[in-house]
Amino acid sequence: MLSCLKNEKLWCAIGGAAAVIVGKKIVKSKKTRQLAVTGLAKGMKLQSDAKELLQNMKDEAADICCDAKAEAGIADEAAETEVCE
Amino acid sequence: MKFKIVYDKPGRIRFRCGGGVFDKTLESAVHKLALTNSCVISAEVHCENGGILVYYKKGHREEVIKTVSQINPKELAPIENGGGVRKIDTDFKSDICRLIVKRFVSKAILPVSIGNLIVIAKGLKYICRAVNTLGEGRLNVDVLDGASVAACLAQKNYTTAGTIMFMLSVSALLEDYTKAKTKAALTDSLAVKTDKVWLVTDKTDVLIPMKDLKSGDIIRIRTGSVIPVDGEVTEGEAYVNEASMTGEPLNVMKSQGATVFAGTVVEEGSIAVRVRELSGNTKIQKIIELIDNSENLKASVQSRAENLADSIVPFSFLGFGLTLLLTRNVTKAVSILMVDYSCAIKLSTPISVISAIREAADHDITVKGGKYLEEFALADSVVFDKTGTLTNAEPVLERVISFGDYTEDETLKIAACLEEHFPHSVARAIVKGASDKGIDHIEEHAEVQYIVAHGIATELHNERAVVGSRHFVSEDEGVTITEEQQTEIDEKSGACSVVYLAIGGKLAGALCISDPPRAEAKEAVARLKKAGIKNIIMLTGDSLKAAEITAEKLGITEYRAQVLPEDKHSYVEKLKADGRRVIMVGDGINDAPALAAANVSVAMSDASDVARETADITLRSSNLSELAVLRTLSERLMERINRNYRFIVGFNSALLISGLAGIITPSMSAFLHNASTMAICAKSMTTLIDKSKKEK
Repeated sequence: MLSCLKNEKLWCAIGGAAAVIVGKKIVKSKKTRQLAVTGLAKGMKLQSDAKELLQNMKDEAADICCDAKAEAGIADEAAETEVCE
Repeated sequence: MKFKIVYDKPGRIRFRCGGGVFDKTLESAVHKLALTNSCVISAEVHCENGGILVYYKKGHREEVIKTVSQINPKELAPIENGGGVRKIDTDFKSDICRLIVKRFVSKAILPVSIGNLIVIAKGLKYICRAVNTLGEGRLNVDVLDGASVAACLAQKNYTTAGTIMFMLSVSALLEDYTKAKTKAALTDSLAVKTDKVWLVTDKTDVLIPMKDLKSGDIIRIRTGSVIPVDGEVTEGEAYVNEASMTGEPLNVMKSQGATVFAGTVVEEGSIAVRVRELSGNTKIQKIIELIDNSENLKASVQSRAENLADSIVPFSFLGFGLTLLLTRNVTKAVSILMVDYSCAIKLSTPISVISAIREAADHDITVKGGKYLEEFALADSVVFDKTGTLTNAEPVLERVISFGDYTEDETLKIAACLEEHFPHSVARAIVKGASDKGIDHIEEHAEVQYIVAHGIATELHNERAVVGSRHFVSEDEGVTITEEQQTEIDEKSGACSVVYLAIGGKLAGALCISDPPRAEAKEAVARLKKAGIKNIIMLTGDSLKAAEITAEKLGITEYRAQVLPEDKHSYVEKLKADGRRVIMVGDGINDAPALAAANVSVAMSDASDVARETADITLRSSNLSELAVLRTLSERLMERINRNYRFIVGFNSALLISGLAGIITPSMSAFLHNASTMAICAKSMTTLIDKSKKEK
């Protein structure tokens, strides 16, 4: 009987079953869900903030480039032809 | 809409509303609204930061600010297919970056075992597709792809399997991108350009902008106009040309209850139509789908390539089996599967054709299918209609010849008085000729009767007055034209067309009208000859003398004068029966049958709607030299397709032999094969004509 308790595989199986039960409880708990949703939302917000920041930088670079062109006396093509967005 | 002005210089202003104010689906709607102000030259809209960049006419800053502040994203609706070419470009760039980054990042950070599992999962998709295709009884490139992937997986060669699938995804992405871009360009050029429509109300018809039109509204469409919407006829009768939909050049009678489609043309009559669908989501999109998918519209070289590509697949399997049998070496046998001719041929040919159509669109030429480019390259004869095609169709009054008691001024005064009631180009020339000479007239005649394609008749001081062609005045109205009078007219008229005026049964005068050729017509004819067109023929309803002089001016050696519209059609048919491949270039309603009969037809930019709808190719600029550009483009396209063939066969054969000889591994073979396919597709997307050279 005691030798049975020394069986490593048995303990692994019991541990695995316990992990599944506890894991299921954790996954299903409201707290975990809330944490996951908040985490995802933060991630999404971070992504859109990064995109906004990148676009701002692109715009500012385009403005600087436009000013430089104007100073150099090069006509801006977009001012003459329609840009299809 | 609240915003911050982050850049403000005369003519260029940038607004920033912040991220999340409007999303990607509303970008096009905001862009469209910004452009509604006539002071705005162009605009760029970015949803990421709610940025709106506006280029405007200097001095109109306040109006631009007002326009932007009035935009309310909550009231906007997304515009279908509103992104255009630029959106397709952006999407493609981000897709391809994502694909490359995903491949290399996952390879770098994922443990090998997990990476292999992902490869197996992806590979199974290809294998499933191959099995499904085989289940449908087809043996094509999908099966070959699936077999290649399966063979690699069976050999546990996950890296090669991954490389093959990556290459296939990139190739698919490239193909989708080129097709989408071409379609967007075609949509722009084929889109119905009707800006205003006549709305039928209880009291009267009101002219309203197209954008204000709603489903359920009733609009009136008259002779010569394009129907801008899909709908149902509620009133009136008309002959409608549906060539743009059905390819059928004969008109269809539409009366109450009948359905009409956007893009078709009312050729005669007037109808009231209840709007069912607005042009954004109507048949134009379907025409574009048709260009892409219809076997009839595909260049035969393209269809041949696709059939050939599929027919090669069984041989690849045969090669695989034989190699396995003879060498018992799986690696060498797999090398055969890795290399196939079909994939490159099948991809590069449509991409070449579609890119050429797109390039033609960049040159302001709309080609309605790959087939027509092929025909244009192979044609050996061009038939030109004279008036409106080789000339500007803006006739001018050259001189007035008077007979009997009438002076030249009196003759002109009476003719102008009658002709001013009709908006015909010759009539306009006479009226303008009179006003240039300062001749005013008062209405002295009774109601004017217009006899189609012949002339005008009325009562003037109790005498019958007729003005029109010689045939009408002399034969139909029985007016005697003496030999002396005819000799005088022939001597004085030169190359001009002559309009006869008779009062009380006697010839009162003749008006000489000339229609000078387009400035670039001579050069265009010369360039076409140089480009290998052997026969250039001019057809005209004018006199022989007028035709002779115009032909001489333009360097045309073959011409037919006094040709009736139905004769044009039979002449084109005759040329075709003689074994010639004919390009017909025309502009008028009466050219439509001849346009439909030719191997390939071209309509001028200012052509009648019917001609434009019937023609396979339309010029959007009024420059005849574009025909020579199109000839070069189409010939280069054919050269490119043939060159691609030779390269694909040569290169892949070399790979096959190297694989069989064991010089290169299947993985290297797959890489080289796919890389060459991608390279050839990328090369096929490049322009055929250097635009800077064209401008020079």
